[in-house]
Amino acid sequence: MSAVWLLLRKDLRVLRRSPLLLGALVAYPIVIALLVGLVAGYASSKPRVAFVDEDNLPQVVAVAGHRFHIQTVIDDVARQVTLVRLSGAEAARELADGKVVATITVPPGFLGDLETTVVSPHLILETGSGGLAPRVTQQVQSLVYQLNQKLQGGYIEANLAFVRLLLHGGNGKFLGRRFNVLGLDRTEHELALLPPGKRVATIANFVRQAKEGLAQTGDALRATANPITLKQAPAHGRTWLLSAQVQSYGIAVTVTFLALLLAAGATAAERDEGTIGRLRRGLVSLGQLVWSKVALAAVVGVVLGAAIAIVFGIVVEIGGVTGGEPWARLPLLLAGVLLAAGAAGAAGALLGALAREARTASLLAVLIVLPVVFLGLVPRGAVPAAYWVSLFLPFAHAVRFFGAALYATSPWHAVGVEAAWLAGIGAASWALARIGARTLSA
Amino acid sequence: MTAPLLRALRVARRYGAVEALAPTDLELLPGEAVALVGPNGAGKSTLLGILAGAIEPGEGAIETHARIGWVPQRPAHYSRLSARENLELFARLENVPDPRAVALQMLERFGLPATRRPSGELSVGNRQRLNVALALLGEPRVLLLDEPTAALDPGQRRRVWEVADTLRAEGGAVCFATQNLEEIEHASRTIVLQGGRVVSLTVEEIFG
Repeated sequence: MSAVWLLLRKDLRVLRRSPLLLGALVAYPIVIALLVGLVAGYASSKPRVAFVDEDNLPQVVAVAGHRFHIQTVIDDVARQVTLVRLSGAEAARELADGKVVATITVPPGFLGDLETTVVSPHLILETGSGGLAPRVTQQVQSLVYQLNQKLQGGYIEANLAFVRLLLHGGNGKFLGRRFNVLGLDRTEHELALLPPGKRVATIANFVRQAKEGLAQTGDALRATANPITLKQAPAHGRTWLLSAQVQSYGIAVTVTFLALLLAAGATAAERDEGTIGRLRRGLVSLGQLVWSKVALAAVVGVVLGAAIAIVFGIVVEIGGVTGGEPWARLPLLLAGVLLAAGAAGAAGALLGALAREARTASLLAVLIVLPVVFLGLVPRGAVPAAYWVSLFLPFAHAVRFFGAALYATSPWHAVGVEAAWLAGIGAASWALARIGARTLSA
Repeated sequence: MTAPLLRALRVARRYGAVEALAPTDLELLPGEAVALVGPNGAGKSTLLGILAGAIEPGEGAIETHARIGWVPQRPAHYSRLSARENLELFARLENVPDPRAVALQMLERFGLPATRRPSGELSVGNRQRLNVALALLGEPRVLLLDEPTAALDPGQRRRVWEVADTLRAEGGAVCFATQNLEEIEHASRTIVLQGGRVVSLTVEEIFG
């Protein structure tokens, strides 16, 4: 049995016998996954928006001869937000308490303006100051856009009724006055009964041209109302969702943190226990010693990464988050976790060798992991120096690997690049840890 | 002339500015028991650690012609593993045939508990006995003992010296560090260390 395997088995056994640490290791991924899952669920859930009706809208509104049932319209258009009818005071209070993320107010005179079709009526949107405000604004803009589309449809239908009256004739009503229209069909019929002549032929020609022209009015009106329409093609491939991002960050934070901490602690513990001297007497080489700590970090990382992904996936499935969990990508994700945990483990072994004491090593690992994570979160354009530093640390590469593994349609290029980075960082850390481990037995 | 089982050639070690051990030569011949005597910080543990291969010498070299067992001053074993698990793990690392059986033999030989109790929870005496048992796993011909009896009761001390004497009688060699003058009687040769150097003083002169 190889020395690395024997030491790994020993470290896993020691880990199993540390109830507090084991409890933290089991609880940590579950808590992280639940939090991450809830955040993802919240990100794709409908925010609660107050609807304040200061115009006392009736249940049914007639616009341009069309009857709109207000609640049906609201239910129909409010696909992205949950509208809650509140009074002005209640809405203000709930907005201040954060119970609603925005308030849409129908001001007095709204319906009057809408019915005249002379003045554009307006709605008033007020959002909270939280991070969701821009998103809510976009959703309400989308809501108003959809409402306008419904009204546009109504207006077009009303206009087309007049066009049909001109074409076919009959009784009509405009601004309260009733009238009867002959219509082009009946005009054509009446012209056919007249004695043929040049003037009759000219009028009959006009009627025919007018009929052909008016027959196109419906399409023309719809085209002018919506010069550009957006048609959604059937979805292909995977969608990059906020839930995917948070899952990648959740796993990367957990794996980096625990791998660094475990490897640092386990390496320094060899000195604390005094066993490094025994091992170095030809039983275990320094390279094998570092490998055993890398293997410990990798094994624990894969188990925890799998636990997070599974718990997260269950939360996502139960929560009905758009896109769901890509279960088929789990093996690729775990391959990335293995690499990332190994790279972080090698860095942890280096820390442990330098700290030479388990407590110091653990503290050092905690202190170091936070900036490592924050550096990985800094966008390239924000602080270029931070971005360049993060390139040489495992966290940012782990996040990109996990993101690509989970949701990229063609992940292989990104996964290959990030895997190469992680392997390089791991190899460099391993080499440095091997040198650093020489001081352990001094 | 008998070939030495272990030879140290001008081995030395510094820790920063502190010279823990000045260049030192030492040979261990079959049947020999060498006592390293000196006050705290004399360099005894450093020399034994270098002889055992546990500490890298800053300069000089070690020639080994026999298997070596090392009993460090502070018990060196995994405190969350039981005595049996420690013995079995190190037996496997030493490539001892049938490590499980050897571990059980050692437990019996040194009167150690065969329970799953973590070795860190054993008494000081039991931990020191485990420390000695671990050194004997590979059936060494050279035994390096760093104040091995410091935490042991008289009966346990006697047992340790019986092991050392048996090894010598079988053609092996023993080198031990001690501050207990009574234990020097187990030595065939005494080396006195002071301030990291071998000095030509008597034991009485060193300890006043």
